[in-house]
Amino acid sequence: MELPSKINNNEKSIQQGFSPSRNGDFISTRKFTALVVDNDPICQIIEKAILESQGVETQFVGSGIDALDLLATGASFDIIVIAWVLPMMNGVETTRQIRAMGIRSKLLAVTACFDERKKQAFLDAGVDEFIEKPLNPKKVASIMREMKNG
Amino acid sequence: MDRNKQHRQVALMRQSLFDQGLLDEQFVQLEELQDDANPNFVEEVVTLFYRDSARLILNIDQALDKSPLDFAKLDSYMHQFKGSASSIGAKKVKSECTLFREYCKAGNGEGCKRTFQQLKKEYALLRKKLESYFQLARQVGPVETACRRI
Repeated sequence: MELPSKINNNEKSIQQGFSPSRNGDFISTRKFTALVVDNDPICQIIEKAILESQGVETQFVGSGIDALDLLATGASFDIIVIAWVLPMMNGVETTRQIRAMGIRSKLLAVTACFDERKKQAFLDAGVDEFIEKPLNPKKVASIMREMKNG
Repeated sequence: MDRNKQHRQVALMRQSLFDQGLLDEQFVQLEELQDDANPNFVEEVVTLFYRDSARLILNIDQALDKSPLDFAKLDSYMHQFKGSASSIGAKKVKSECTLFREYCKAGNGEGCKRTFQQLKKEYALLRKKLESYFQLARQVGPVETACRRI
């Protein structure tokens, strides 16, 4: 996310969802949104709760196809969390298709079992980060800090 | 029993779950998501975990009865199980899941069966201890001090 110029028109910046920090730079105060794509109900609830604890409005869907259908309606999300194991279409293929739609959201791959091959497959498909489950609040907080500070 | 003594008993019971290696840091992260709006979040998630994972346990049991064993299917079930177990901080259960998957990769059916028996024991033990802990915690009520020692 590009920070606006701080030279002119502070009010316009604030309207765009940025507020001045102490050193005069602008940091984003807008609400972030996330989509969790995971068919495990426990992971759905926990990942949603963790994101919401960081102030991120979150929805979840249980399959890659549901995610693509939702994105095709024009729904947009700052963050999309994708599991490896999904019904019908796995997380890697889902990622590939999301990127093929031109969607530039931050994509986080999450999986219960780390292996190098899986990580590479996800990275090649277009995820920004690969995380071994469980997703934890500290990791999400660090990602949010990065996103908020541009 | 006076209130302070009851709170100490709850705290000791909770600590023993970590000392015995049954739970890990993820459980603490979930506790930190609890607030006035969701005071029983952890208990609800754990209850859901046991309800949902019963289905997976049954699937794995049935798959282990077949001959020849379908290691890819077993691995996929266990991958999912590991995801939700790790998301609630079930440390020993998660370790057994990892071991099971190693046996799957090695095509070792006996290893899978043996590990699964151990996994079910750990799963049942954790359930029993968490049920006792949550029951006592509910009876005693929340700690009223400003800072809750972890």
